[in-house]
Amino acid sequence: MNIEDVFSSKLRVKILKILAQVGELNVSEIARRLGVNYKTTNKHLKILEDEGVVQHKVFGRIRLYRFNERSPKARAVQNFMEAWEHANKQ
Amino acid sequence: MPQYRSVFKDETKLDINYVPYRLPHRDKELRLLMEFFSFILQFPEKMTQRVMITGDVGTGKTVLSQRFGADITREANKRGISLRYVHVNCREYRGNLFLILHHVVSIFHPNFPRRGYSAEELLRILLQILDEENTYVILTLDEFESLVEREGSEAVYKLTRLQEIRANKPQRLSLICILRNLKIIERLDPSTKSTLQSNIISLEKYSKQQLMDILNDRVSLAFNPLTVPEDTVSLIAELAFSEGGNARLGIELLWRAGKYADAEDLGIVTPECVRKAASSIYAVMRKSDLAFLNVHEKLFLLGVARFFKGSQKAYASLAEIERAYAVVCEEFDVHPHSHTQLWKYLQMLSARGIVQKKVSATGSRGRSTLIYLPRISAYELEKELSMLLEKGEA
Ligand SMILES: Nc1ncnc2c1ncn2[C@@H]1O[C@H](COP(=O)(O)OP(=O)(O)O)[C@@H](O)[C@H]1O
Ligand SMILES: [Mg+2]
Repeated sequence: MNIEDVFSSKLRVKILKILAQVGELNVSEIARRLGVNYKTTNKHLKILEDEGVVQHKVFGRIRLYRFNERSPKARAVQNFMEAWEHANKQ
Repeated sequence: MPQYRSVFKDETKLDINYVPYRLPHRDKELRLLMEFFSFILQFPEKMTQRVMITGDVGTGKTVLSQRFGADITREANKRGISLRYVHVNCREYRGNLFLILHHVVSIFHPNFPRRGYSAEELLRILLQILDEENTYVILTLDEFESLVEREGSEAVYKLTRLQEIRANKPQRLSLICILRNLKIIERLDPSTKSTLQSNIISLEKYSKQQLMDILNDRVSLAFNPLTVPEDTVSLIAELAFSEGGNARLGIELLWRAGKYADAEDLGIVTPECVRKAASSIYAVMRKSDLAFLNVHEKLFLLGVARFFKGSQKAYASLAEIERAYAVVCEEFDVHPHSHTQLWKYLQMLSARGIVQKKVSATGSRGRSTLIYLPRISAYELEKELSMLLEKGEA
C-alpha cells in the first residue's frame, strides 16, 4: 500500500496514536476507544499489520496488538507521533 | 530558642511495606525457604515447589517471604535465570482467583483485558506467557484464607495441578501460601491438601527479648542517634509481647511514639510517648469495632458512655445502664429493647472487649453484674458513637 493510502484513514491514524500512548491493547478495547465495531477495527489492524507497522500475539481468545519493534516503519511512526505531541505541548 | 529537630532520620523504615535486609530471629526460617527453592538456581524447569507459612499476626510471615523473594530473585538473575517473585495479598482481591491471576498477568502485559474468559483460561495464558519469555514465577498468596473461603478447593487444585498435566513443558509456577493457621486447609479435598502440606514453616510468637532486637534494629534505621532510650524500647516490646508477640504492633507503636515526641518537640521518645501511642492505637481498633454494631447495640453503649460521663463512679450496675439507655432511646425516638436483649448486648460487647463486666462480691441483694470501661474515656466513646449514630440517621 502507498503511504498516502495507509495514512488516509482517520481510524488507522487513531489506532497508531492509541498504541503509541498505551503500548499494547486488545482488539475489543481498541474498538471501544475508536468508537467503532469489532469488525471494522479488525480490518484496519490487518492493514497495519500487513504493512509491518503493528504485530499481535494470541492468548486464548484474546489478541493483543502493539507496534512491531523490529520494523523501521513502526519506529518512524512512533517518533513522528511523539515529536508531534511534544511540539503541541510547547 | 531551640531549633525544631525531628527524632526521625527516616520514617519510611517504619512503613509496614518496608522490607529490612536483616530479619532478626528469622534466619533459620529464611534458610529453610532457600533450601526449599534451591532447585530454582540449578534446574528451574525440572520442578515447582509449594510452601506454606503460618503464624499469628505480626510474626513476620509477610516480611519473611518478601525478603526471601528479593534474595532469591537477585541470586537467580545473577545466574542468568529469569525469575520473578510476585507477592499478592488475596484479601485485596477479595479472594477472587481470576483477579489474582489477572494481577500476575498484568505484570507482563499491563493492559491485559479483564473480561471475556475464565480463571482457568487465564492460568493457561499465564503459563504461555512464562513459556514465551522463558521466565519462572514464585507466586506468594498472602492471606490465603480469603482465597480458600471464596473459591474453595477447586481454585487451589487448578493452581497446583494445571501445570503438572502440561506435557513436556518446563515447570513455571511455584507457590508460597501464607496463612494464620492450618484450620482452613481442612476444607480442601484430600489430594489438594496433601500437595500443599508437604512443606510448612511455622513462625512462633516473638518473645519480649526478640521483639527488643527487632525494634532496636528499626530504631537505628529510622531514628536519629540517642533519641530512643532503652526503657522506651523495652516498654514497647512489653506491650507488643502482651498482644501476642506482635512485631507489627511494636513497630507501629514505635512510629506513633516518635510522632508524639515530635509533636511536643521533645527531641527524645519518652515512655509517656509510648503510653500515648498505645491509647491512640487502641482507640483506632475500637473505632472499627464500633462501626460493626447494630443501632441498638450502639444506643446501649451510648447509655454506658453517658452514665460514666455524668458520674464519678468506676462501675455501673446493669439497672443503672438500662435507665441511661432508656433516656438515649427517647432522645433518638426509638422503642427500647427488653432486659433480656440488653443482657445479650452486654455479653457481646464484653466478649469483644469494648466494655468489661465483673461480678460484684457481695451486695445487699446478692451477687450482681457490674460494668466498667477499659482503656477508653467515656467522653471519647460518646463522641464516636454520636457521630456514628448521626451518620446512620442520615
Ligand atoms: N524478624 C523481623 N525482623 C524485622 N522486622 C520484622 C521481623 N518480623 C516482623 N517484622 C516487622 O513487623 C511487622 C509485621 O510483620 P509482618 O510480616 O507484616 O507480619 P505478619 O505478616 O505475620 O502479620 C512488619 O513491619 C515487619 O517488617
Ligand atoms: Mg502479613
